[in-house]
Amino acid sequence: MIDKISFDRALKRVEKPARYIGMEKNSIKKDLEKVDIKFAFCFPDVYEVGMSHLGLHILYNLLNNEGYIACERVFAPWADMENEMRKEGIPLFSLENKEPIRNFDFVGFTLQYEMSYTNIINMLDLGNIPVYSKDRKDSDPLVIAGGPCAYNPEPIADFIDFFVIGEAEEIILDIMKIYREHKSNGFKRLEFLKEISRLEGIYVPQFYDVFYKEDNTIDRMEPIFDGVPRVINKRIIKELDKSYYPDKLIVPFIETVHDRIPLEIFRGCTRGCRFCQAGMIYRPVREKTVDTLVKLAEKLADSTGYGDISLTSLSSCDYSQLRLLVSKLISKYKEKQVGVSLPSLRLDSFSLEILKEIEKVRKTGLTFAPEAGSQRLRDVINKGVTEKDLETAVTYAFEEGWSTIKLYFMIGLPTETKEDVLGIKDLGYKVKNIFFNLPKEKRKGNLKITLSVSCFVPKPFTPFQWIGQNSIDEFYEKINLLKKEIRDNKITFNYHDPQISYLEAVLARGDRRLSKALYKAWELGCKFDGWSDFFDYEKWMEAFNKTGIDADFYALRERKTDEVLPWDFIDTGVDKKYLIAEYEKAKNGTLTRDCRLGCNNCGINRSFLGGVC
Amino acid sequence: MNLRVKFTKEGYLKFISHLDMMRLFDRAFRRGNIPIKYSQGFNPQPKISIANPLALGIESQAEFMDVELNERMPEKYFIDIMNNELPEGIRIIDAKYVDDNNIVSSAVGWSYYEINVKVYNVEDIDFIKGFIDKWLMNTEILMERTRIKKGKEIKDIRNIRPLIGNVTVAEHDKDIRKGTEHELKLYCLLKSGDSGNLKPTDFLMAFKEYTGLDMDIEMADIKRLNMYLEVNGEIRSPM
Repeated sequence: MIDKISFDRALKRVEKPARYIGMEKNSIKKDLEKVDIKFAFCFPDVYEVGMSHLGLHILYNLLNNEGYIACERVFAPWADMENEMRKEGIPLFSLENKEPIRNFDFVGFTLQYEMSYTNIINMLDLGNIPVYSKDRKDSDPLVIAGGPCAYNPEPIADFIDFFVIGEAEEIILDIMKIYREHKSNGFKRLEFLKEISRLEGIYVPQFYDVFYKEDNTIDRMEPIFDGVPRVINKRIIKELDKSYYPDKLIVPFIETVHDRIPLEIFRGCTRGCRFCQAGMIYRPVREKTVDTLVKLAEKLADSTGYGDISLTSLSSCDYSQLRLLVSKLISKYKEKQVGVSLPSLRLDSFSLEILKEIEKVRKTGLTFAPEAGSQRLRDVINKGVTEKDLETAVTYAFEEGWSTIKLYFMIGLPTETKEDVLGIKDLGYKVKNIFFNLPKEKRKGNLKITLSVSCFVPKPFTPFQWIGQNSIDEFYEKINLLKKEIRDNKITFNYHDPQISYLEAVLARGDRRLSKALYKAWELGCKFDGWSDFFDYEKWMEAFNKTGIDADFYALRERKTDEVLPWDFIDTGVDKKYLIAEYEKAKNGTLTRDCRLGCNNCGINRSFLGGVC
Repeated sequence: MNLRVKFTKEGYLKFISHLDMMRLFDRAFRRGNIPIKYSQGFNPQPKISIANPLALGIESQAEFMDVELNERMPEKYFIDIMNNELPEGIRIIDAKYVDDNNIVSSAVGWSYYEINVKVYNVEDIDFIKGFIDKWLMNTEILMERTRIKKGKEIKDIRNIRPLIGNVTVAEHDKDIRKGTEHELKLYCLLKSGDSGNLKPTDFLMAFKEYTGLDMDIEMADIKRLNMYLEVNGEIRSPM
């Protein structure tokens, strides 16, 4: 355990000390002397963000269900706490037993966004664990990682001992069993890694050499031992309805980003939006049954006391039994003052009817995501909504008493023209006119429209994985155009920082040569890069310069479809041929139907038998 | 049905804010199926009111809140159910139905604190006793305070002497004296409520200013030992 007196001193000096105390309802504190394996679940961001992440709750409870494992949580300390810790000599610790993370067997990071990578390095350093995998001895913890960004693990390959690719609910216990055996026979890092590298879904970066061509693109990737797989298949839970889901969730003391019960209703998405990585890597769609969900909701509501159940998935309105589920939940929990919410709404009529059910409880702002300003561009990205859908949706919303509407867009999408960009403004004004065209007695509240624009970041395993991102200057040109054109006190225009999106693009499609730039950036003081108050573009450019990395090569360059991509050795089940075909269709603005309407032959149902999609 | 509840807030739970406490109780009531009354409207809130919320970092042996229930349940059930749901550090130690309309948050007038604070560069801690007595002989102790109202900083000077009741310095074991660094233990009764409020840290600040003592207020350990109502010039327990 860390020194309690220095810890108390530190807590008195920092903002939101409750981030570091643990002790929440349903947290699990075991006697660390009495377990075989200590697993530190690390979220490389601040407590309030990490505690809102569903995967943490699933794996935390899954691991702690095993008597021989203690899983404890670790978050990135905010800058004020980090200063105190370094001053007081407090190493990074777990919340439950306040145990230094270097005393754990596993230090596991979840990779939710690329901009958290420098926090991983910082957390290892704060935990007195060698940052580079090659420097770790048998007595050091195994540093592992998983989550959506693990689909391109290469930029952090030098720091991580092994990755779990795909859904970890099943394989994580297999890994624990194998480790327990190794530990009881005298753990040897190399032997352990060799054994688990043969498990499906495990990637041990140090077992591969990458060879490059003269133009800096990848020539090939070679395993250095026999028996190490050339292709890593993602892990997938075949029967989601029967898979593990916790009936308890830790209830934080302080307000977190999502302060409610997340009820995962399905995984995967059939819409096939071409920019969306989640829509490709989480295939196939697997639903939970209404029965299972109602039972789960009951247990979770009883064990947490939350006042809100949020139906989560990539596109909740696509759940086949949504109406039944919503009405069951609402009738059951109305008395108890528990609300039901749907975070991802679509602009179609069906969604609106569901909304009618839900709105009885609370009337907060409404958010829609048309993603692009013109029909042509929405067709390019295969976002199957029309302007008519938007009109119907907002008309309905205004008539029902809403007056705050937020619309999400991206700029920098492939083939985008000035007209497409101005379409964003036009849609905003259209929404405004719809409001004021309503008879006065029907309008309620003060109209507030927010147009929120983010800069498109091409992601691996999407049909847009080959395209060059807009340059920072191009992004600013488009932003300035919108800034100039949107002049209305009812309409607020927001945009994301193009510099952050540029860096995200570098890291998202980077290769393992980026590890040294990440290390350098951290040395220069970069951390919490996803937070605009911390992000320092100049330092990043200095890090790239000093390590001889051409960042434009990763962010801005258009790739040929026959180029070997850094993540090509991972098989998500969706064929590369399918992605290429989608890329071609995008260029012509040809739509691909929703998979529920008929199979589009992406390959997933050949790769993973048993998946219904 | 108004249930008056006495509870503690100790250990690391002292780092939970008032708003966090409200949320924490709401969830504990739900988990324990306590028949709590909710406010009307789109965002119903449980009808609870906590007296004189503690500042972050201060412990307490005696916090009070009033809880409105839809139906009567035995006090003991309430205490047992809640203590099963509440985190270690927050314990309900008493509960009693009260019929007065004066809810505890507006009725409470005084708080009694124990303060442990390090004092540096003092030869003899007994000096401090004398200092305090002399300080409190003043009929006026002026202190500047800064408040933020509607985003603007407002500074005013107020007399805090009427807000200070009894102050005593605990006897010190001679062994804990280490050169010129001392652990000072104080007990003080301070106004806390609608009719005047003095935070224990402000009390320390004013004392430090008066004496010029080298005192580490930031690191002081402060604990509320009790809270009182003032009725006809006398103080009594809210229970």
